[in-house]
Amino acid sequence: MFYVSVFFQYMSQYLKTKLQYRTDLLVEFFSDLMFQAVNLIFILVVFGHTQVLNGWTRDEIIFIYGFFLVPFAVFGAFFNIWDFNERYIVRGEMDRVLTRPVHSLFQIVLERMELESLLGAITGIIIMIYAGSRLDLVFHWYDIFIFILFVLGGTLVYAGIFISLATISFWSDARSSIMPMMYNIGNYGRYPIDIYNRVIRYILTWILPFAFVGVYPSAYFLGKKEWYGYAFLTPIMGLIFFTIAVFLWNAGVKRYRGAGN
Amino acid sequence: MANAIEVEQLRKEFKSYSSRSGLMGAFRDLFTRNYKIIRAVNDISFTVKQGEMVGYIGENGAGKSTTIKMLTGILTPTSGKIIVNGMNPHKEREKFVQTIGVVFGQRSQLWWDIAVQESFRLLKKVYRVSDQAYKEHMEHVIETLDIGPLLDKPVRKLSLGQRMRCELAAALIHNPPLLFLDEPTIGLDVLVKLKIRKFLKEINEKYNTTILLTTHDISDIEALCERVIMLDEGKIIYDGSLQELKTNWGEGKQIQFQFAQEVIQEELNILTADLKVQWQAGERVNVWTAYVLPTDVSDVIGRVVAKYEMKDININEISTEEIIRNIYEEGAVHG
Repeated sequence: MFYVSVFFQYMSQYLKTKLQYRTDLLVEFFSDLMFQAVNLIFILVVFGHTQVLNGWTRDEIIFIYGFFLVPFAVFGAFFNIWDFNERYIVRGEMDRVLTRPVHSLFQIVLERMELESLLGAITGIIIMIYAGSRLDLVFHWYDIFIFILFVLGGTLVYAGIFISLATISFWSDARSSIMPMMYNIGNYGRYPIDIYNRVIRYILTWILPFAFVGVYPSAYFLGKKEWYGYAFLTPIMGLIFFTIAVFLWNAGVKRYRGAGN
Repeated sequence: MANAIEVEQLRKEFKSYSSRSGLMGAFRDLFTRNYKIIRAVNDISFTVKQGEMVGYIGENGAGKSTTIKMLTGILTPTSGKIIVNGMNPHKEREKFVQTIGVVFGQRSQLWWDIAVQESFRLLKKVYRVSDQAYKEHMEHVIETLDIGPLLDKPVRKLSLGQRMRCELAAALIHNPPLLFLDEPTIGLDVLVKLKIRKFLKEINEKYNTTILLTTHDISDIEALCERVIMLDEGKIIYDGSLQELKTNWGEGKQIQFQFAQEVIQEELNILTADLKVQWQAGERVNVWTAYVLPTDVSDVIGRVVAKYEMKDININEISTEEIIRNIYEEGAVHG
């Protein structure tokens, strides 16, 4: 309960800061919107040339992409801590975080919040509606809850992987280029998993389970019964990976060396 | 009264590697590294009673900040025992930090972009301070530190002095019984320094707040602390009252002569050969300083003035700063 009220306090603070810079906000909103529009056009152009890919139709692939954008947007809004090493370890901001009576990871998530990234979710939903209507998908009333559950699961998978990577900074203070690489690998999760060879499929399912952010959960909505097992694993994988990440984080904080001053 | 801080055989080691020189050296570093264990804090023990104001001093790299970071729960000690406010800072960190306030002079605790009062509001939430407690306590703090007019300005628009006063207020939002100040007056002008000192004295009297203060400005310590702990290369080299330090080390006086003519050190030495006097050339021409026991002052002046023509004479106490410098040069405290 305490954490929820702290969350809302930070969020209102965030909005206040954003509203302070009126022109900035407007420009940012506009450019975000443009970015999403370009994104949308790009997808339609790219997938315009493929009709069927290993048994998946064009519209199905577009649907997967649309779904992927939603957990990715939520991840971007709250767990965008790619600059953790630079900001908190090298510049020593972690010292400040550790002197406050709230869990350190939670504080950093709140401080790095970027709510405008949630716009991406709207794009995602538009794409899903577009592809879904062309596929004549049938939705049940409970699908909305399953959708939320899968989005949360996918977000936690993403967050778990990136938080785990951020904790490397506690052990080694060298800057690494692993984060951008991971963003690229993350993109593989939004294509049908069975187009890859077995090793990559295994990695994307169990080691860096990005497939749980795109293909697997979408397979449920696309009515691909052979993937249902994986689809319902999504929230579980999310919880497992997020728990591992928090565990690594707590172990890392114990090793924190601080920045000299 | 209970002890606010109990530290026993506290030690912190850092592993660091020294890189070899040159390109070849860099290649060799890739495979085998020369690791070196650096002991930043070396088996120190001390206790601080509730309500004490303690100055924690030492040169750069003596281990002050490392100690403070262990006491505040930021760093895990390598070995030793720390009990602060009855808790183990690192083990129970989130519960523990509720009972302390921290100000790092070189690092801001406030949010850069938002108004000061918004930062306060966030911290009030984070520390779970009730509206009533906040009102009672903070109104007074804001008034004493004279930061009322600054509250609606964003932190980035404040001057250093203004910001520092806000930082101090922010550290006190939850009215902690123990306050850590790491160089709180660094880079501040005299007026702000005085204001901050006065304020610290006041909260110490009013709430019996324990204050542990590190600083390079000895006048801070003179104004606030009765007790100093002096650190050198990770070890405590002095722990006791400031007064005692002064009497043991600085009982002498300093007499500065400005001569009208040129003098040679040997002549001066011969002149005061039977007294315990140390002569030292000053920074300007024909200026000499004599370090003398208090009982010999008039004797020395008499002899020197009788022999040479004078332009000016000054008699000074040996300053605390000088005492501390002397101690560092010798590396230990005798007496």
